[in-house]
Amino acid sequence: MIKAIIIDDERLARNELKKLLMDFPEIEVIAEAANASEGVEKIDSLNPDLIFLDIQMPGKTGFDMLSELERAPNVIFTTAYDEYALKAFEVNALDYLLKPVEPKRLADALQKLQLEEDKEPISDHPISVNRSILGEHDQVFVKDGERCWFVKLSDIRLFESVGNYAKVYFGANKPLILKSLNALEERLDEKVFFRANRKHIVNLRLIEKIEPYFNGGLLLEMKGGEKIEVSRRQTVKFKEMMSL
Amino acid sequence: MPKNASRYYWLCQISGWGFLGLVMVLFSSTFEQKITFKLIGFLAVVVVAGIFTTHIFREVIRRSGWLMLPVEKALPKLLIGVLLTCVADSLIRIVVVDSLGLSITRQKMDFLPRLLATTFDNGLLIIPWTLIYYFYHYIEKSRKQQLDTLKLEALVKELELKTIKSHINPHFIFNALNSIRALVDENPVRARTAITELSNILRSSMQAEKLETVTFEKELNIVKDYLALEHIRFEDRLEIEYEIDEDTLDQPIPPMMLQTLVENAIKHGISKQVGGGKVKIVSDFSDNYHELVIQNTGYLNGARNGDGFGLASTKNRLQILFGQKANFDIREIDGNVVEARVLIPIDTK
Repeated sequence: MIKAIIIDDERLARNELKKLLMDFPEIEVIAEAANASEGVEKIDSLNPDLIFLDIQMPGKTGFDMLSELERAPNVIFTTAYDEYALKAFEVNALDYLLKPVEPKRLADALQKLQLEEDKEPISDHPISVNRSILGEHDQVFVKDGERCWFVKLSDIRLFESVGNYAKVYFGANKPLILKSLNALEERLDEKVFFRANRKHIVNLRLIEKIEPYFNGGLLLEMKGGEKIEVSRRQTVKFKEMMSL
Repeated sequence: MPKNASRYYWLCQISGWGFLGLVMVLFSSTFEQKITFKLIGFLAVVVVAGIFTTHIFREVIRRSGWLMLPVEKALPKLLIGVLLTCVADSLIRIVVVDSLGLSITRQKMDFLPRLLATTFDNGLLIIPWTLIYYFYHYIEKSRKQQLDTLKLEALVKELELKTIKSHINPHFIFNALNSIRALVDENPVRARTAITELSNILRSSMQAEKLETVTFEKELNIVKDYLALEHIRFEDRLEIEYEIDEDTLDQPIPPMMLQTLVENAIKHGISKQVGGGKVKIVSDFSDNYHELVIQNTGYLNGARNGDGFGLASTKNRLQILFGQKANFDIREIDGNVVEARVLIPIDTK
């Protein structure tokens, strides 16, 4: 059973989608929300597997809402017609439905989701795992200006502190998110993400080369070519971890 | 150059020189001389040589495009041209007159003073010829330019109006269709009227392409349909109020203008408020103007520049149709109400 939340500011639009979803018994609509802040509240308390998200909503848009979430659930966007949003989808291949929703398109979108889950079943995670720590397979939603991405944490090789922001390195992109490095460190799995120095958190699985550096420190070269210095104090910890 | 113009040129050329020849014949017969065969021959040479040399001069002017030049550049060229034409004409005259033995002066003159005298004589004919030719074309040219500018302006206006009129928001259409689909089960009667309302809006936006203005009543009906549909979507988040002076219903307004403004009121106002708000439409006479006011809950920030297509074009469109006195402005009142105001001068004809 997939637990889903519908977030849309129009009651009729929510009803219409619920009606369409009755043909898919594996989807259970556990809640509805009429705006972004209600949405955040319900996602945090109910922990759904899937959300249907309208983009244009009063107050905050669907994109804004997603970037506020610690962990992005699976999302299927719904929109009537929005040139800018459609452009964002094209770039990043996020899944979306155009309202009024065609039942065939809805079936396709849900099937695609099912296939993704079969690859990395969420339900395999032991229930006892502390949900406040983000696992490797969790995804985050990153929005930088007009562009937005869903990024698997395992694809992120580096977080860099830039003032109040953190620069997130993945693929050829490095957008900024409004989060401090310390806050990030608390939420990241320390077996995978390592605080190399005051300004950087690196993904241990995405290190290309390790070289000795001044003062008994280390210099890490990431898969993307970035060179990160490991402070002397952290070097001890790093060596300890790597020798395990 | 068109055939007509060429025919007109020859008509002027022959009748002008012919008239000159005739005047000279009459002149000679009234004073001193008898009309001799020799005199007629001499005048014929003057006329034919004049036509011949000025025609060549015209060809030169046309082929080197002097008519297209600004006056101050064309004048020196024309002056030299006139001088050369006069000298050439004189040479032809002297040679032909002498060889045919048509000379009518009694005393013999040296060649040079004779050439000078004939050239001066010719100048009296060719300078006016050039002036007439040049200024005819000068006036023709500026008239044509004016016509072209007018045509271009008309075209631009037409295009502007077309793009403004065909501007209907697809986001609205698809949202409305989605609401209607949900209503089909929930409230079939309302769904049926909603389909009629949507049809009305689509039809009028298509017809708007063809019309300059419509009556306010017609436009108001569209807006009422539009707001009824938005009310389905927003439910109790949208409150609607009308305050219409019945006498204003016959006033002409640009099609889809009120519609665009109300659409903006929804898009930038109501749809951004979590708690929703109110749209109020007022139509009234004020002095010599038909005053239309659209108020909505919300704030003005950004609406003016960002997505302001509707706003920027509205003023433009009003002034194209109703002249400079027509006006449009938008401002924030009471902190959370945005008011758009249209003033259209009343036609007192």
